[in-house]
Amino acid sequence: MASLLQPDRVLYLVHGEKKIRSSLSTLYFCRYCSELRSLECVSHEVDSHYCPSCLENMPSAEAKLKKNRCANCFDCPCCMHTLSTRATNIPAPLPDDPSKTAMKKAYYLACGFCRWTSRDVGMADKSVASGGWQEPDNPHTQRINKLIEYYQQLAQREKLERDRKKLARRRPYMPLAFSQHTIHVVEKYGLGTRLQRQRPGAPITSLAGLSLKEGEDQKEINIEPAQALDEVEPLPEDYYTRPINLPEVTSLRQRLLQPDFQPAGASQLHPKHKHLLIKRSLRCRKCEHNLSKPEFNPTSINISSECQVLLTLTNPVESITHVTLVGCEEGDPEDINSTAKVMVPTKELVLAGKDAAADYDELAEPQDFQDDPDVVAFRKSNKIGFFIKVVPQREEDGDVTVSFKIRHDFRNLAAPIRPSEEDDAPTEAIWLTHHVELSLGPLVA
Amino acid sequence: IAEHVGKAAANIAAGAVVCVESEIRGDVTIGPRTVVHPKARIIAEAGPIIIGEGNLIEEQALIINSYPENIMPDTEGVEPKTMTIGINNVFEVGCVSQALKIGDNNVIESKADLGKNVILTSGCIVGACCQVNTCEVIPENTVIYGSNCMRRVQTERPQPQTLQLDFLMKILPNYHHMKKTVKGTSTPVRN
Repeated sequence: MASLLQPDRVLYLVHGEKKIRSSLSTLYFCRYCSELRSLECVSHEVDSHYCPSCLENMPSAEAKLKKNRCANCFDCPCCMHTLSTRATNIPAPLPDDPSKTAMKKAYYLACGFCRWTSRDVGMADKSVASGGWQEPDNPHTQRINKLIEYYQQLAQREKLERDRKKLARRRPYMPLAFSQHTIHVVEKYGLGTRLQRQRPGAPITSLAGLSLKEGEDQKEINIEPAQALDEVEPLPEDYYTRPINLPEVTSLRQRLLQPDFQPAGASQLHPKHKHLLIKRSLRCRKCEHNLSKPEFNPTSINISSECQVLLTLTNPVESITHVTLVGCEEGDPEDINSTAKVMVPTKELVLAGKDAAADYDELAEPQDFQDDPDVVAFRKSNKIGFFIKVVPQREEDGDVTVSFKIRHDFRNLAAPIRPSEEDDAPTEAIWLTHHVELSLGPLVA
Repeated sequence: IAEHVGKAAANIAAGAVVCVESEIRGDVTIGPRTVVHPKARIIAEAGPIIIGEGNLIEEQALIINSYPENIMPDTEGVEPKTMTIGINNVFEVGCVSQALKIGDNNVIESKADLGKNVILTSGCIVGACCQVNTCEVIPENTVIYGSNCMRRVQTERPQPQTLQLDFLMKILPNYHHMKKTVKGTSTPVRN
């Protein structure tokens, strides 16, 4: 909800490696640690690859082989939109009888956004709807592959040498890969190991995982060094006088999306296969469990009057939740942003559990909670609206920000069942406290 | 002298399909095989509009020959300028065109906005939501697309929408009343 309307009005404080304040819609909750986690406190792992246009899931090995590109879908080289295949009927001579012509279907690629077609660059129409389109070959592929192999071998050799020195002093069954030096050496030529990937913040290079397998024959690979040429091709004579044909000049973005060729002319822009996107899974760094769907209390703001603010609390779980609000004390280290004093209700607020069937059951008796009308504005199934009083402290033009602490009970229903001596001990409730900051907008004179 | 209230009858050639719910005001000539959808508006305020054949004017499109901004409607000595629209053009839903001269085979996509001083030649495509209010002649086969109105030239012009026109000319009369064409009675047009 917050992500649609006003994302930064309500901020929660996350106690991670850094203290991060962000809105609830961007936070996750670790059920095992019972703490809030932000995107910076979790490790992101690649789960699977998929193509954004045909939604085809590809296993990671296949994705690596295809350079993370989809086999069926193409991107427009002009506007980077997805290309669609269109068909036309063209008269073509029949194979049996060349004098007669019959209508045959011919397929070409077209962009719906900028109206680019494959015919613009001279690609002939294909007779099959998919699979007929090839990307042009990079003339330098062979040389690049040879260079990669050579450097892989070099890195492997260096790694072995270093480990041999270390191993001389350690026990023999220590695995080869586990040494700090190894990681640095391996990183030198861009090869990544499994170990490197798990280190938070380390960049993943594209050559990761392409290391030689242990025990493979290490044949000698020789490469010729690159040769520097003294003479270069001279510029054509009319280079400075020829008028520029602006539609023909490619933009930098168009050029750099094709790093193999980087064509300067628009008539050489060939379509590339579409890049795959990844689905990522999040893992809590402290307890190494996968973070599943977050479970949180959304809070929405309704500013109705100047001094009194109406807040709404919604209870997403199905059991009754007790919420206490406590103002921040003087000298609270987390209270750095508030510019106004807030008076929160002192009594405990009780929220009914979420009951999906209650919406449809008109004859059900409303639960009797005996709310204080000065505190509770309204109550509806699992929602409650309550008042807080805000007294702005400063006269300046900035935004009015208040902070307070929410303390609520939480039952972890998804925790593994521990075998206990007593029968059926109910799930223990734990009390969680969150630091909340509310941005109420600018002061009105 | 340009009259504020246009003439009573618009000149709709035989073969054109113009729905009654469209609003046609002023001196408008519509060629044969042109389809005007309901809720399209063709307003000839400051001069006549001549529309060629085979055009497709979709819903909520607005083709208006309006007065330039600094001239009051009742000024003396203002020559009425004719707006000419060629053949096989497509005015998609919600577009606004004030361009005085439009050639053939152009496509003006949804919610595009053409200013008074633009002249479209042939085969141009003005992309959706693109506002073109420069004072220039758009060269042939130009495509204007994107939020920044980028341009590029395509190698072939957009095909005339013959299939679509034929289909509409058959189907629209089944569901809408049509304005009367020139051939036949000269009853005044209901707006």
